[in-house]
Amino acid sequence: MAATAAIAASRPIAPEQASLWSDAWRRLRRNRLALVGVVYLALLVVVALVALVHTPYRFSEVDVGRPYSGPSGQHWLGVDELGRDTLSRLMIGAQISLVVGVGTQIVVLAIGVPIGLAAGYFRGWFDQVVTFVINLFYGIPDLLVALILVFLLGPSLTNIIIAIAVTRWMDMARLMRGQTLSLREREFIEAARASGAKPIKILFGHILPNALGPIIVQATFGVPAAILFEAFLSFLGLGVPPPTPSWGSMAAAGIVTMRIAPFMVVAPAVALSLTLMAFNFVGDGLRDALDPRSRR
Amino acid sequence: MFTRGTLIYIGQRLVLIVLAVLGVSSLVFLGIHRLPGDALFSEHLHGTQYQLTLHHYGLDRPLWQQYVSFIAGLLHGDLGESLVNRGVPITPIVVREMSVSAEVGFVALLFTIGVGMVFGVVAATRQNSWLDYLLSTTSVIGYSMPNFVIATFLILVFGIWLDNFTQGTFYFQIGWPGRWGSIGAIWLPAFALGFPYASIVARLTRASMLEVIRQDYIRTARAKGLTEFIVTVRHALRNALIPVITILGPLVIGIITGGVVIENIFGIPGLGKEFATSILNRDYNIVIGVFTGYAALVGIANLGVDLLYVVIDPRIRY
Repeated sequence: MAATAAIAASRPIAPEQASLWSDAWRRLRRNRLALVGVVYLALLVVVALVALVHTPYRFSEVDVGRPYSGPSGQHWLGVDELGRDTLSRLMIGAQISLVVGVGTQIVVLAIGVPIGLAAGYFRGWFDQVVTFVINLFYGIPDLLVALILVFLLGPSLTNIIIAIAVTRWMDMARLMRGQTLSLREREFIEAARASGAKPIKILFGHILPNALGPIIVQATFGVPAAILFEAFLSFLGLGVPPPTPSWGSMAAAGIVTMRIAPFMVVAPAVALSLTLMAFNFVGDGLRDALDPRSRR
Repeated sequence: MFTRGTLIYIGQRLVLIVLAVLGVSSLVFLGIHRLPGDALFSEHLHGTQYQLTLHHYGLDRPLWQQYVSFIAGLLHGDLGESLVNRGVPITPIVVREMSVSAEVGFVALLFTIGVGMVFGVVAATRQNSWLDYLLSTTSVIGYSMPNFVIATFLILVFGIWLDNFTQGTFYFQIGWPGRWGSIGAIWLPAFALGFPYASIVARLTRASMLEVIRQDYIRTARAKGLTEFIVTVRHALRNALIPVITILGPLVIGIITGGVVIENIFGIPGLGKEFATSILNRDYNIVIGVFTGYAALVGIANLGVDLLYVVIDPRIRY
């Protein structure tokens, strides 16, 4: 009897405390699809970084191989209609996609988070105006707005990021507003207010860190959406100006010659689909990991 | 079903659609006139001839006068005249193309809802079986693939490989016979356009079905001795559809905008095809017309969806 009691005493009663993040990481590791996605995306980043210093051929150099030829030892993914190496162009295209995807989300975060925070915290007329504008933006089709903007601003990487961010910021603002609305009523915010914290400190020091989980999930889902948008714009000829390759414009060029050189369209199409899928898997995994209640 | 309140609501919405169309076309009109370059400039056209052409289109007037006459024309349903093909009025072109785009979009929507619901229900009723995993995986792949990628693979398979395989007996011929196309010409584009959204519908249906089939009234229905089919379709599915209906609006907009790409791939003479051609031709009057047409199409489709809510869910009243 005494021995059992001694053992019980030596063992802590509560399980070891795990922070939200280490707990989420543990759950994420158990999700196989999400892990595959993480690995793929890590590889993609490496490829994009390597392409900064080295590609098998220069992406804009013509006549490095026989036009329309399929995969071979010299050209792993074949050669396009101007005799440019498809693999090299695909690697540069990965850079473009990642820059657009992540760049857009940075702009979206920079616009959406402060607006959502302020609208949710201060409420009143500001909240009404923000809600109205958000609903207004939801009412108009995003692809058309992006098309108009790129058409009017002129196609360039910066303008594409601006155009996509303009049509995407509402998701983040709405999420942030909702989170703030529910968090501001909690006791710890009241305590912070009672101890004299300034609104800025409460918003960015107390509310924002507690809403980080949903924000990260939303941003992860936002990246593939932006990449998809960029591919659409490039596909329609309103993307990054040539000769810079983008997966969308490569696919558009490949569709024309599909009958004689199917590889020209298959390579960018597969790269694009795999990337979007990986981001969606990681996003699903993060959502389940950060909010276990939402899992079905 | 449609009370007096509903009619007033429809009237208000129609006014809003007109305002939205005016807003979009004004934005594009003013934006296009800010662009550098000259749409009419060419080596065949100079001197008096050039001045006369400018005068013909009213482009020699100050911008505000052009804008006023543009809006006046728009309110009369007149979108002006093509810059490239002189004398060709734009309104009939845009109206015809709108109807084609609407046709393709509608077929795609039917496909989306039909296939999405069936997949979702089957996956939910056989939860955790191999069929469920197969359908769930397909839907993840489906919504991760851009519609032009799906279209490409479909053309590769049905247009080229099937052609080679059957030595030209069976294959998909890209094209669009007549004004309205044909069943043979529409099924593949509609599939490519609807598949990503069908995946989303399937996921939503599956999730909400799983919640609904655990409810007490489903057990009651089974206990009454109703057949499994009746229970699934009449009791479970009807209630499981409510969350699905809420995404119908974004879905319709997605299908309309997705059509821009699909029409270009499949050579369907709709608004999306005209959009790409007119931008390449710098036929700015048609560009304005196409955006106006899209604004109208989206507005009308959204109104249709909102009215559909009333039909599906009797609790909703306007």
